[in-house]
Amino acid sequence: MKHTLFILLQNESGALLRVAGLFAARHCNIDTLTVATTHDPAISQLTLVMHGSTALLEQVVRQTRKLVDVLDVNTLSLVGTEQRLLALASSA
Amino acid sequence: MNLPLPTAVPSPAPEAPHPRAGEHLSGADIIVQILVDEGCEVLFGYSGGAILPVYDAIFRHNAQHLRADGSEPMPLIVPANEQGAGFMAAGHARASGKVGVAVVTSGPGATNLVTPIRDAMADSVPMLAICGQVPTAVLGSDAFQEAPVANIMASCAKHVFLVTEPEQLEATLRTAFEIARSGRPGPVVVDIPKDVQNAMLAFDGACRLPIPGYRARLRATAQSQLGEDACARFFNALAQARRPLIYAGGGVIAADASAALHEFATTFGIPVTTTLMGLGGFDTTHPLALHMLGMHGTAYANYAVEDCDFLIALGARFDDRVAGVPARFAPRAQFIAQIDIDAAEVGKVKAVDWHHVGPLRAALERLLRHGRARAAQPDFSAWHAHLAQLKRAHALDYDRDSVLIQPQAVIEAINRHTRGRAIISTGVGQHQMWAAQYFDFRAPRHWLTSGSMGTMGFGLPAAIGAQFARPDALVIDIDGDGSIRMNLGELETVTSYGLPLKIVVLNNVGDGMVRQWQKLFFDGRFSATDRSLRRKDFVMAAQADGFGWVRRLERKEDLETVIAEFLAHPGAAFLEVMIDPDAGVYPMVGPGKSYAQMITGPFIAERGESAIAPAQTADMF
Repeated sequence: MKHTLFILLQNESGALLRVAGLFAARHCNIDTLTVATTHDPAISQLTLVMHGSTALLEQVVRQTRKLVDVLDVNTLSLVGTEQRLLALASSA
Repeated sequence: MNLPLPTAVPSPAPEAPHPRAGEHLSGADIIVQILVDEGCEVLFGYSGGAILPVYDAIFRHNAQHLRADGSEPMPLIVPANEQGAGFMAAGHARASGKVGVAVVTSGPGATNLVTPIRDAMADSVPMLAICGQVPTAVLGSDAFQEAPVANIMASCAKHVFLVTEPEQLEATLRTAFEIARSGRPGPVVVDIPKDVQNAMLAFDGACRLPIPGYRARLRATAQSQLGEDACARFFNALAQARRPLIYAGGGVIAADASAALHEFATTFGIPVTTTLMGLGGFDTTHPLALHMLGMHGTAYANYAVEDCDFLIALGARFDDRVAGVPARFAPRAQFIAQIDIDAAEVGKVKAVDWHHVGPLRAALERLLRHGRARAAQPDFSAWHAHLAQLKRAHALDYDRDSVLIQPQAVIEAINRHTRGRAIISTGVGQHQMWAAQYFDFRAPRHWLTSGSMGTMGFGLPAAIGAQFARPDALVIDIDGDGSIRMNLGELETVTSYGLPLKIVVLNNVGDGMVRQWQKLFFDGRFSATDRSLRRKDFVMAAQADGFGWVRRLERKEDLETVIAEFLAHPGAAFLEVMIDPDAGVYPMVGPGKSYAQMITGPFIAERGESAIAPAQTADMF
């Protein structure tokens, strides 16, 4: 099952590495990853798509929330068409 | 949904401004001032080019602030290798509960710290590592002694800072201490380029970095209180239970909750077993104590886990050395409760029926109040009698009739003198498990061991750090010949600093624990674990390094007198004991096996049903 994570994080040196590194260390593959600044230059929005069980999702989200730079994590678990629509929307 | 970041750097309203606020100081002097402000009493580290300004500032601080007795207020202890400094800082932290601090140079200095940092992370030990780094102008240019420390440590530490803006140095360092000791404690690494150490800066005295996400989560967890409903559900379940059991982990010690645990367990009559990390969190000599559970736990503790109908996990995380097969762990438990400071640990391994994420001590005190208010007086006397019978019938035991010295007898002999009052550190392997099994542990922070990472070489430097934390305490490193070899250079650190440390090497001429597995799972082919052809003479090594009392014990009949003499020696003492090389650690719950399949070995009575599976190579470790 595919899951999309929306992670807000402080735009600190190494913050992206810490998020990506956490997923790698927890044996959780990232399918796609985009990072963009928000209207507040001190904050980045990271959109990440992964696949796996909901248990894996839940665990990796809880671990992500432990990262010091992370402000907020929200998730969306969609299937099929909805996922593609979201992909289109986020690329628009 | 964007959270606004505070624009002003928040300072937690100090009563009075810092006496040095407004002074212009170098980055290095600011680092030292913050170490002083944070209550740092000792530093561990090895010098090098990229950390020179900090070392100079420490030197000047100590020279200018000598105590009346001529001692330095913040001595800098120099190890043989930075790994030693890291484990000394960790030993100091584990024995004191304070943040242990290591200060090292860039490149190899920092990479030698990787193992202690990961070790501290895995065991939730508060630590700060200050690493020198090449100047910002050459960062990323493959400069001399440059390593991508922030990248490397990001995978190992609770958090890493690379300070590239000198103005951020003060706030960063203060925040690093805050992160190390708050929530679930852990190691924080601050990588500081040399030009940042040399920069002249205005000292603020209170500033911190805005880390709004972390602080908001921390606040939410710290303020999270058990509600009436949750307490009622807990006690309703307890009222249904006949065989409740507390499974207490290292969180009890980290949360300073051992007194609350004692009160809680004794008030309601709930027996307690602890993990390796939880030893000392509950007095092992108490009638309700079942000592350690797990892969090499006592048979009676493991049988109690098999038999319990209500399991209460406190600051424990069902790791694979405890719950090797989570589905078959505590199989008769109708209700599992879990309290932890870390939300990610709840349900990570084993689903629970009731949980609370928050500070353990407050939660236990809240449960205690609720239970007392409803006059909960459960009668577990049948369960107590059952456990007393298990303790009698399945007590720890070993080959007492052998002509060879048994390692368990050595620990028992030391324990007869120390009675749970000494601080014990260990390496990793069989000696670590024998020490865990045969020592009494009566108070927290007396047991320093590399639990999760299982790092050989931990014992000696950790004991050094602990001796600095507790100068008047009897500190004993129980080590193995394989483990102590890994940081043997630190022998000379003990004598150079005049520490009265006691070191015991249980020498079985090889890597005993690995041999035990090779016997069980690899038809006794001792690939690379036999040291009988090695040339090392530990006694001569200790003598060469200036130990005032050194002895090799080879005859069983000398055991008691030698141990007494060894412990009575006022200074550094080194005892090598040639033990039965075939002595095994039992009980043993094999990898991938449930407690019902526990092997109790030839000297501990077994309860039946245990099916010793034929030796096979399994993926489980």
